[in-house]
Amino acid sequence: MNPTLEQLSQEFTRLIGPVPTAPAAPANPPPPVQVVDFAVRGVNLDVTVAPGQVVAAAELLNRHGFSIDTITGVDWLAEGQMEVVYDYLHFAVSLRVAVRARVPRDHPEIPTISLVFPGANWHERETHDFFGIRFVGHPNLTPFLLPEDATFHPLRKDYQP
Amino acid sequence: METPVNAPPTPDSPVPPECSQIVRFAKLDDLLQLSRANSLWPLTFGLACCAIEMMAAGMARFDLSRFGAEVFRPSPRQADVMIVAGTVNKKMTPAIKTLYDQMLEPKWVIAMGNCAISGGPFVYPGQYAVVEGVDKLFPVDVYVPGCPPRPEALIEGILKLEEKLTGKRRFPVAKLKE
Amino acid sequence: MIPPKEITYAGGGVLSAPPEESFVLNLGPQHPAAHGVLRIKMTMDGEWITRAEPVIGYIHRMHEKMGENRTYAKFLPNTSRIDYLAAMHYTHAFVGAVERGARIEVPLRAEYIRVITSELQRIASHLVGWGAWIMDLGGLTPILYAFDDRERILDLMEHICGARLTYCYYRFGGLCNDVDDYFLQGARDFVPYMRGRLKMYRALVTDNIILRKRLEGIGIIDAEMCRRYGVTGPVLRGAGVPYDVRRAEPYSIYPRFEFAIPHYPAGDSMARYLVRMDEMEQSLRIIEQALDQIPAGPVMGKVPRVLKLPAGDYCYAVEAGRGRFMVRIVSDGKDTPYRVKLRTPCFANLSPFEEASKGMILPDALAMLGSLDLVIPDIDR
Repeated sequence: MNPTLEQLSQEFTRLIGPVPTAPAAPANPPPPVQVVDFAVRGVNLDVTVAPGQVVAAAELLNRHGFSIDTITGVDWLAEGQMEVVYDYLHFAVSLRVAVRARVPRDHPEIPTISLVFPGANWHERETHDFFGIRFVGHPNLTPFLLPEDATFHPLRKDYQP
Repeated sequence: METPVNAPPTPDSPVPPECSQIVRFAKLDDLLQLSRANSLWPLTFGLACCAIEMMAAGMARFDLSRFGAEVFRPSPRQADVMIVAGTVNKKMTPAIKTLYDQMLEPKWVIAMGNCAISGGPFVYPGQYAVVEGVDKLFPVDVYVPGCPPRPEALIEGILKLEEKLTGKRRFPVAKLKE
Repeated sequence: MIPPKEITYAGGGVLSAPPEESFVLNLGPQHPAAHGVLRIKMTMDGEWITRAEPVIGYIHRMHEKMGENRTYAKFLPNTSRIDYLAAMHYTHAFVGAVERGARIEVPLRAEYIRVITSELQRIASHLVGWGAWIMDLGGLTPILYAFDDRERILDLMEHICGARLTYCYYRFGGLCNDVDDYFLQGARDFVPYMRGRLKMYRALVTDNIILRKRLEGIGIIDAEMCRRYGVTGPVLRGAGVPYDVRRAEPYSIYPRFEFAIPHYPAGDSMARYLVRMDEMEQSLRIIEQALDQIPAGPVMGKVPRVLKLPAGDYCYAVEAGRGRFMVRIVSDGKDTPYRVKLRTPCFANLSPFEEASKGMILPDALAMLGSLDLVIPDIDR
């Protein structure tokens, strides 16, 4: 049974539950589960989760037959946070889902999804290389694209060579 | 009776005239350089985009084989010239240094493409991964600019290397029509 | 598994060699079959691989960091150099992402020319992959033919944009140059020529018993493994899944063309081989249809002088020669991107190699590596 957009929206809303308002949240925060215009954004469903919920989100999409597309790290220096965006695609239906999570910049840790999707193993290693985000539970978080003895994280906005 | 072959040599013709068709004298060094120049064996060292133009230079249309250089050897022990075709990374530096050291003398290096000459399009303030030019690692004999250089440019680089070895250029330089 | 060897010495003593004597073989960054600078650390048990760990990063050229240091237009040359064999597709994805974000309209003629050049590029890319792969297996002839065909395509490309390998032909809003009759006639003549060549390749190479013995049943990557690792492109279609970005996330004017998506269920190297050969035929079909339908008109749309994308993130995916290539641009409203993420197909295509090559004999593992059609700068970016 191929998943539909409405089905996924409902399941994600159930998964995320009530979102606690953070003290520094903007007045109108974007909804955590958003159906967006593919023609402009390139994804169909944009979901914001807490870092602890990324594995559950991955398992939900795995159950529906999605595949891991890529994992992007973004360094929001001004806000003191780092964002991890998980992109998923489905081979049978034309649905693209993006799952985002934000972690604090001085202590960037997020659980690994490589046990759900083995393909995420390499993507997480690369994100760790570039940003220093620690994926808790990852079997091998050593430098991948950088030299084996590298200790720097070049895509951070405050990186100085 | 003195046969022509046994004719004594004269000062301006040390070789009997009948033999001069088949005997030439030259310095051994020049002969060796001539033979080395006409049978350069490149090392297969394509790193990135320039590797494809190097392959195209070895293929049927541009044909490095005309110049004796079609035998690309994967092993550095069997190669004369290392054509560094592509960007040299800091992670790759120990490997490329090892390959250069393992090549036997006499050896030459052609830096093909802007990346091998000076880092190419990947140099920007604050770059962390690219070695800005392979001549920071070992001496380079010929630089072939381009991004990527056309296969004809690589052939011109090989001819320049031959000129460096033998002192003479194989073909005349084309003159632009005024 | 290999049975332990018993060595009988002249004195009558018998020594059993230990059953598992493993060693680490380094398929180093410089290797004729590595298709670039790929290093694979292989733990071997004789000729059998017990663990093959790819080590990458030897051609990491900081494309994503450069995206943050360059304006949108200045990043265009980088896009050609990520995967230089399918350079048009990669430029298409970046240009498409910016056009999506900035809501730039592309004229119809430019879209048609983009499709024609993309499909010519796909054929050129498959030819090199095919030729290099057969060369790895020991057949040194097909690569000469492949490069000869490719030279015809490159002549056409050079005529319109001046470059043979790393074009920068697509611009935001269209193209940098219009095409002329030389290109259109050349493309039209190329189609029957290539069809004849494909027929020859089928007889010379595809039906060759040596190739079939080397590829059939070797390196099975099935559909479930593809899904778990995010594998796309001919590798996925060789596992029986008819997923093609041109149909799944239609972009440009691909919905106007009729073409099949070749897929074979076996999941072995032969299936991936057949997918690529059939894809070349389908590309020729698309080129023919595009040449028939191409309208007159401008090739450049309206683009603001200083290009800035509204804040947010934008994705654009294309079916590149090796699989799904997606660009994700995160913008903060300035004229340089805040983050450019390049989702490259070869990165995902290589990731199941460790699992899929366990227990394989080394030449078969190299045949499988060739069937993945890797370009290493695509993995390292």
